[in-house]
Amino acid sequence: MAHEFPSEEWTQAFAAAVNDNEDYRKHGKPWTYGAVAMVISRNPELGLEEDTGMILDVDQGVCRGTRYVKGMDAVQEAPFVIVAPYDRWKQVIRGEVDPIKAMMEGKLKMTKGHLPTMLRFVESSRALVVSATKVPTRFLDE
Amino acid sequence: MMREPAIQLAPGAEDNGFAVMLAQLIRQNIDDRPEKKRALARMLGRVALVVSDLGLAVTLLFERGRLTLLDGIVGIPDVTIRAPSEWHTRMSLVEIEPRFGLPDPRGTVAREVFEASRRGEVQVYGALASPTLVLRLTQLMSVV
Repeated sequence: MAHEFPSEEWTQAFAAAVNDNEDYRKHGKPWTYGAVAMVISRNPELGLEEDTGMILDVDQGVCRGTRYVKGMDAVQEAPFVIVAPYDRWKQVIRGEVDPIKAMMEGKLKMTKGHLPTMLRFVESSRALVVSATKVPTRFLDE
Repeated sequence: MMREPAIQLAPGAEDNGFAVMLAQLIRQNIDDRPEKKRALARMLGRVALVVSDLGLAVTLLFERGRLTLLDGIVGIPDVTIRAPSEWHTRMSLVEIEPRFGLPDPRGTVAREVFEASRRGEVQVYGALASPTLVLRLTQLMSVV
């Protein structure tokens, strides 16, 4: 069954896909730098009246939990915050966009976090994206 | 006394995602590591970084502790590095030899970058005329 993106169910399915991903377990093993929040900018046309965040509590190659939250204040607990509009996240989830290239192009913005650390974990970022592509997804604009 | 470093985006560069990312990277690197701050304080010259697969370019204007990032290629660069995005990311992982804080030619990534430059995937212009600028740039940008 496809999960609506974004939603609590999608976020949980993403966490399960991350934990099923052998590449993420391997490349994310040294990661002890805290949770990563993916934020979708508000888009009233799609019914997203506020910025919407999915916080992944990733640590040492596993996702220990998730939170699905509304508003930018709610994601500030995460040491890493990445923000993009809905259509960009859609491209990422479909595997059409490499996350690091997207950051270089300004399509994804890291509004909080330590970029040198993120760059050391390029392969684990890519493994997270691969995990997202495995989640059966129903998009709001389709 | 060493002047406090200043890193700024020139007007127009704030819309260039690569320039924004480089400014953030260098700011955080010099905050973390005093040797990188010292390297920046000594750098003088103009470096152009061209991301060949994304059609992006940034010019870094180094003025002994002051760095201005400009959108595109501005002026005549002393050094130009042209590579696909993948290699620009890899280059930030070049190993730094701890004693002198310079790129370690024996490092795995350093050797990969050297091989990529031999194959022409990474093109570096001006390195022979400005070797110190290239070495300090590598030191400044490395995240390892």
